[in-house]
Amino acid sequence: MKNDELKSKIEVDFKEDVQSAVISAQKELILTVSSERYVALCQKLRDENEYFFNHLSCLTAVDFPKENKITVVSHLWSYKYFHQLTVKVDTDRNNPKIATLENVWKSANWFEREVFDLYGVVFEGHTDLRRIMMPEDYKKFPLRKDFADDGFIVKPS
Amino acid sequence: MMFTGENIVQIVSDFLHWIYSQLGISSLAGVIDPIIAAVVMFLFIAVFVMFLVWMERKVSAHMQSRIGPNRVGPMGLFQTVADAIKLTIKEDIKPVHRDKIPYFIAPIVTFVATFMGMVVIPFDKGMVVQDLNVGILYIIAITGFTVIAILTAGWSSNNKFALLGGFRSAAQIISYEVPLVLSVVPIIMMTGTLSLTGIVEYQRQAGYWFIFPQIIAFIIFITSATAEANRAPFDIPEAESELIGGFHTEYSGVKFAMFFLGEYIAVVVSSSVAVTLFFGGWLPLSFLSFLHIPGFIWFLGKLLLVIYLIMAFRWTFPRLRVDQLMDFGWKVLIPVSILNILLTAAVWLLLYGKKAL
Amino acid sequence: MTDLLLSQVKAGGEFQFGADEYIVNLGPQHPATHGVLRLIVKLDGETIKETTPILGYLHRSIEKICENRTYPQCITYTDRVDYVSAMSVNLAFALATEKLMNIEAPSRAQWLRMIFVELQRLASHLLWMGAFAGDIGALTPFLYGLRERERIMDLFEMTCGQRLTYNYIRIGGVMIDILPDFVPKCRAFLDYFQPKIDEYEDLLSYNPIFLERTKGVGIITPEVGIDAGVCGPTLRGSGIACDVRKQQSYLYYDQVQFNECIETAGDCWSRYKVRMNEMRESVSIIRQSLERLEPGPIEAKMPPILKAPVNSEIYSRIESSRGEMGVYLVGDGTAKPWKAKFRCASFNNLYVLDQLTRGWKIADIMSVLGSFDLIVPEVDR
Repeated sequence: MKNDELKSKIEVDFKEDVQSAVISAQKELILTVSSERYVALCQKLRDENEYFFNHLSCLTAVDFPKENKITVVSHLWSYKYFHQLTVKVDTDRNNPKIATLENVWKSANWFEREVFDLYGVVFEGHTDLRRIMMPEDYKKFPLRKDFADDGFIVKPS
Repeated sequence: MMFTGENIVQIVSDFLHWIYSQLGISSLAGVIDPIIAAVVMFLFIAVFVMFLVWMERKVSAHMQSRIGPNRVGPMGLFQTVADAIKLTIKEDIKPVHRDKIPYFIAPIVTFVATFMGMVVIPFDKGMVVQDLNVGILYIIAITGFTVIAILTAGWSSNNKFALLGGFRSAAQIISYEVPLVLSVVPIIMMTGTLSLTGIVEYQRQAGYWFIFPQIIAFIIFITSATAEANRAPFDIPEAESELIGGFHTEYSGVKFAMFFLGEYIAVVVSSSVAVTLFFGGWLPLSFLSFLHIPGFIWFLGKLLLVIYLIMAFRWTFPRLRVDQLMDFGWKVLIPVSILNILLTAAVWLLLYGKKAL
Repeated sequence: MTDLLLSQVKAGGEFQFGADEYIVNLGPQHPATHGVLRLIVKLDGETIKETTPILGYLHRSIEKICENRTYPQCITYTDRVDYVSAMSVNLAFALATEKLMNIEAPSRAQWLRMIFVELQRLASHLLWMGAFAGDIGALTPFLYGLRERERIMDLFEMTCGQRLTYNYIRIGGVMIDILPDFVPKCRAFLDYFQPKIDEYEDLLSYNPIFLERTKGVGIITPEVGIDAGVCGPTLRGSGIACDVRKQQSYLYYDQVQFNECIETAGDCWSRYKVRMNEMRESVSIIRQSLERLEPGPIEAKMPPILKAPVNSEIYSRIESSRGEMGVYLVGDGTAKPWKAKFRCASFNNLYVLDQLTRGWKIADIMSVLGSFDLIVPEVDR
């Protein structure tokens, strides 16, 4: 489906779940979701026949210290209909917690471990939330914008 | 007189006996002769194995479109000498928690056991250290020693990888001894003798080499011999990509050299037995006998061909997984070799009737 | 650093062993784990009970570094994300940046990019073939693969001066135009190479020992594959059509004829066959691209300092040699990306290793790892 068809369809089908659906200047459809509706929406997006997003392409997080939030971003792809979707959910930067997508797509397991390792976002319900790349007893979260450790200097922004 | 192996042995033997008579120890001839023969054999094997290591590197290189050693000596012939010197002057790294005496003995037993097999191989008529009349049985019994040595090496290294490698290797060698023995039985049936010289004599009198009636036995023999020597495609015990070094992971320097050379000597022994049993030993090709090339040159030539075949296996085939290896040995080779024995007996009966048995 | 096995963590910190079980550490330094990957394998005799990969030995924080470099400066780092197919990663980042800033590369640059990315795919698959066969025990195809790869490296060196980390595909086009004798040399190489693929298949594909080691080993069912995020030739071996070149076409892949190589069995042998067929398809694509190459500019007109629009983001995917490679960029109005994420195929492919090897033997870890075509720098970044 084309992006505008998809957008209008989502605005009709998932009116309560989705906070906003925008087609960006780079021609991508971006949905912003609240954290309570996040997993349910993703489940519907995977299962319902018209959408069929069976491939979680990427799950990552972006740190916005000025707005005091860490946004968890998932990119979905459908092997059946060849359409792409971006789902964003905001978490509080001081205590980032969000439900896990592991039960929807298994590939989220390691993606979420990486986000936990590098940003500190806790995924509730994850079966095995450990650090994946940094050593097990490392204390800090490297990809945050205020990471200052091991000789790394934070530029004044 | 003609330049044959028999004549050379006769000349050397006469000369030695003349020396004994000069020194007044003629009565000890029966004791000193075999010792001198064994020493000559040892020196010959030492040089031959060095040549073989070079040959393996060159053969593998040319199969892989490389050149191989070509710096040390003409065409890299002295590469093995350089390697041997390097291994002897290397530091002997030993694991701290090893089992000291078995760790020390294992490589020695491997080396000695494989070398002892060369004692009964006839290079020419009369050119054999000791022509036992149970030659084949002796060789098969001796190759069983290597199992104990490998298990000992794996255990005493105090290393999980080495232990796993030792187990796998022991299982492999024991499994492949059975088809090895069974593939030789038809030949013994046909000739009625266990002595290697006797088998070659039979081939000379019969006029044909045993490769023709016993091609199946030859294939089984070569396959089992490759497995006995832990060579590819059966080199799971020393598979680099899986268990680093298998049972010889924790050995370095001279001890490693002994394992390494022991493997090559095992190849030489098996190939010599194959040549003697299937290719007529020192016998010339009948239509080339007018050239009067001595028998041991024929023997060495055939030996090198069989060794080349075994080397080519290593660089062509992937390696079998250990359970597939066992399956192949027990479920394929043993039934086929038993069938071969029955077939030989049936054909023999048909051709020669009950009287010949 | 404490080592924690999966089951140990779940049990709350004690080692959980059944009778006769022991742990073998296929450690970071190992001849066959294709780089610095550590596998903790719990075994019962020869049978595998559990495999835990431990990553992070090659983590170089490339994503963090890219947040402090301008967009053109990041291209150099992308070479190191996957050094065996550096052109593909260069292309992924360049395409993402171009979409972010609405730049369009000229047609000659696009054709050149296609030629080099497909040559890179050939080089990567040749190295994979050698490593895969070497892990299984056939030591000779490795040298044959490297011999052909040398010729491809010669073509690369002729163009951009580098043999491994090219930094050639830039934002807006390519770095420098090809030399006049590149096209005849490339054609000569393709004519020489095409029968060689058949020769190497002859050596390996139907060899009984190779079949025993790879047929039926490490079967990925389609459902497990898609759910676990497996992609690229690894998933195509299970019968799923997942080629990004066909589904979300970039460069001029929709203007050339090529087939997507799919096998249905899902075992190591199918993945091997998929890659061998992909080599043939790559040769065909390069030939067609060489025909369509026309003179023209090789770089788009761009402002001297590339700045992303405020509050912009893009997720762009390409089909690298290993599978789907995605680049997620967030722009904030400055010349440096606010966030750069590389979604690498090997990271997801490694996830299914545990499921596939339970109940098999140690030797099968090598077959399965080899058939995934894993590159550890991609896993760790």
